Amino acid sequence: MAVINVDSRGSACPGPVTDLVRAYKKANNGDIIELLATDSGIKADAKAWCERTGNELLGIEESNGEYKVRILIKSKK
Amino acid sequence: MEKGGLNIIMFSGSADKLIPLGVLSQTAANLGVPVRIFVTGWAMLAFKKGGPTSVNRVTKEFEDLAPVLMKGMAEMKAPSWYDMLKTAKEIGDVKIYACSLMAEALKMKNKSDYDPIVDDIVGAATFMQMAAGGQVIFI
Repeated sequence: MAVINVDSRGSACPGPVTDLVRAYKKANNGDIIELLATDSGIKADAKAWCERTGNELLGIEESNGEYKVRILIKSKK
Repeated sequence: MEKGGLNIIMFSGSADKLIPLGVLSQTAANLGVPVRIFVTGWAMLAFKKGGPTSVNRVTKEFEDLAPVLMKGMAEMKAPSWYDMLKTAKEIGDVKIYACSLMAEALKMKNKSDYDPIVDDIVGAATFMQMAAGGQVIFI
């Protein structure tokens, strides 16, 4: 049940999702990944990734051009 | 081998059209979608040994805009199409195949004639069989 912080600020699409995938590979079910990004594509892409992989998007906060995406990991086998 | 997934026929060898190859491959890998790339036509030159770093042609009708695009990508520190493909292969199930017909025509018949990112040289039937049931994109 760890919180994994991923800083993907400054990285353009599809970099932030790749950073998310790298963190996901090391995560366990119940962990929360907190991804920071500046690419606005991440808002829709995080949702698409969660739908595809069966993880839960807890929320996206936006402030000053930065996005903080929180994802609950639940699809690890 | 898993069937379906995203299958890309890469025909164009121009620098601008290699960008979507990198983006789509990395994105599919991000989503856990298998990717099979069939390199043929002019794209063979981008995948030959030393090819990835020497691609500088762009699509003729947008030639005047190419410097703007390339400068913009550099300012964003966006990775090159080749780096995106390498990332895609690192995180996902991504395979790159060169077309055996073009390999013969362009005198690139040996695996050692290619950049190491290329997995094998195969015929079109092999690619079609891999792509059966999946999405196919021609670039």
